[in-house]
Amino acid sequence: MERVAVLWFPGLSEEGPHGSEARAFADALDLVAVHCPFVTPVRLGLATLPARAPSRFYGGEEAVVALLRAALEDFGLRVATPVRLGLADGLFAGVMAAREELIVPPGATPAYLAPLPVSVLRRPELAAICQRLGLTSLGRFAALDAERVFERFGTEGVHCHRVARGELGELEGISDPRITARLRALGEPPEPVAQPSFFGGTSLAEERAARAAIRLQERFGPQSVQTALLRAGHDPAERGELVTFGARASSPRADDAPWPGALPAPSPTTVFATPRAVRLTDREGAPIEVSTRGLLSAVPERCAIAGDSRTVAVVAWAGPWPLTTRWWDRRRTRARLQILTETGVGLLLAAERGSWLLLGRYD
Amino acid sequence: MFASSSTSRRRVERPALDQALRQRVTPIIPASARTLPVAPALAPLLPGGSLRRGTTTLVSGPVGSGATSLGVSLLAHASHVGHWCAAVGLEDPGVVAMAELGLDLRRVVFVPRPRAGWAEAAAELLDGVELILLQPPGRVPHAAARRLVARARERRAALVVVTATRDAWPLSPEVAVTVEHSTWQGAGTGEGRLLARRAEILVEGRGATRAERATVWLPSSRGEVTLAGQHR
Repeated sequence: MERVAVLWFPGLSEEGPHGSEARAFADALDLVAVHCPFVTPVRLGLATLPARAPSRFYGGEEAVVALLRAALEDFGLRVATPVRLGLADGLFAGVMAAREELIVPPGATPAYLAPLPVSVLRRPELAAICQRLGLTSLGRFAALDAERVFERFGTEGVHCHRVARGELGELEGISDPRITARLRALGEPPEPVAQPSFFGGTSLAEERAARAAIRLQERFGPQSVQTALLRAGHDPAERGELVTFGARASSPRADDAPWPGALPAPSPTTVFATPRAVRLTDREGAPIEVSTRGLLSAVPERCAIAGDSRTVAVVAWAGPWPLTTRWWDRRRTRARLQILTETGVGLLLAAERGSWLLLGRYD
Repeated sequence: MFASSSTSRRRVERPALDQALRQRVTPIIPASARTLPVAPALAPLLPGGSLRRGTTTLVSGPVGSGATSLGVSLLAHASHVGHWCAAVGLEDPGVVAMAELGLDLRRVVFVPRPRAGWAEAAAELLDGVELILLQPPGRVPHAAARRLVARARERRAALVVVTATRDAWPLSPEVAVTVEHSTWQGAGTGEGRLLARRAEILVEGRGATRAERATVWLPSSRGEVTLAGQHR
């Protein structure tokens, strides 16, 4: 399992009335990033970084911890919070080690976790039941048979069990998924979106829309409200991009220069952010492949989309249109295919490395 | 849940009207202020030839039938002439297609995955935009729909709801457009490509005197959503 160093700032773990904690935390991470790359926030006041490469570079894990402590000394005095550093296998053990400021040697994680109480898993129900069963420590919980744990506690129990055994590094619920976006948003102060309107300034309607969008962002998080940008590209997913409302455009707008290999209009009305896997088969049920010359291996007959139990018949198809990109670097060859199912639904598929993905649907 | 926004209007002192004149004049709101324009090609579908502010238009049709395209194209012209739109609940919007259908993406706010907060998000956006394209997840609870409709009426915004089935929206909308059947043209056995879609639609509602059937291209081979034929 990966060696991770964990930085814990007890004084920054709770959100204060002025919201200064997030800013101080972001400053601390900047200080750390000067010495060690890839430091990632886990939640407010808690950050982690992979320790293997820095410990080789600085000559040992003790040296890394000493260096980080020195780097954060001034910072700790300034915001009046101590920093606790720990180093262990996996995030969960790392957090435990940071509480006690320990370096747990490689491979010693299960032994280190064993005497800790079950309550450190932050599952009050599980802890209460374990207490009644006489399982007072993580080690005794870990010694249970995995199947028995599943019967009694379900999948979540199994997850905790694997963490307790040191087989799994990260405990679910330990990280705050929004923290990275939050810290990034601190770096760039929110500005009202200013796009010149017809008379140059911003129009009243635009201000009203921006205000409503910002209110929504405050309520549901900045990522919840987005605007669309068009750019040049091959696939619909490349050509249209959703960006967080208020963020500055990262690239210029689409130019009108020809873009060989792009699919012509109409484009799919639904473009999946995470394309789903598709099983495309011929009459005998054998999977359809695209040859190196860009031809289908057989006539597509049936199509099954992952997550959908039904298999539908393919009544018409168009393509495949092969496309090779990044030939100078990591050659990427994919083929796009439009199919029409028996229910009259048009789908856009792509084949890459022998498997089919659903790119979009013509809704 | 639905916080009301306080709008402050400045009172302007006007000279009093003559009593005789007052009895003859009636306050009017210009028709253009009560409606939002739709593309001329779609105008014959709607009563009055436009989207009325404060009303709900329901566009329903099974997944992949073109209901989303039709919903987007109802908003397209208004966004093009400067009205702001919001698309709430369209989980994976194909923004390239929306631009092709005529939507001006500079004036569209997307809330793709509001999850349980979709009604709240739509209500909040009704304060800021004039048109909302809403794709609710599954059947809409009666209370949520009623609140949204009331909010749209109060804010004088047009609500366009896209659902898979007609009964997923519990209220009777001013205009209900149902995509009954649609067929793609252009794809064969490897040759060609999906080029044009011809859809049979049924338009009914409180505004229309009786149900009307029409055939529309969603889109046509020139990429436009147009009316192919209308028959009563």
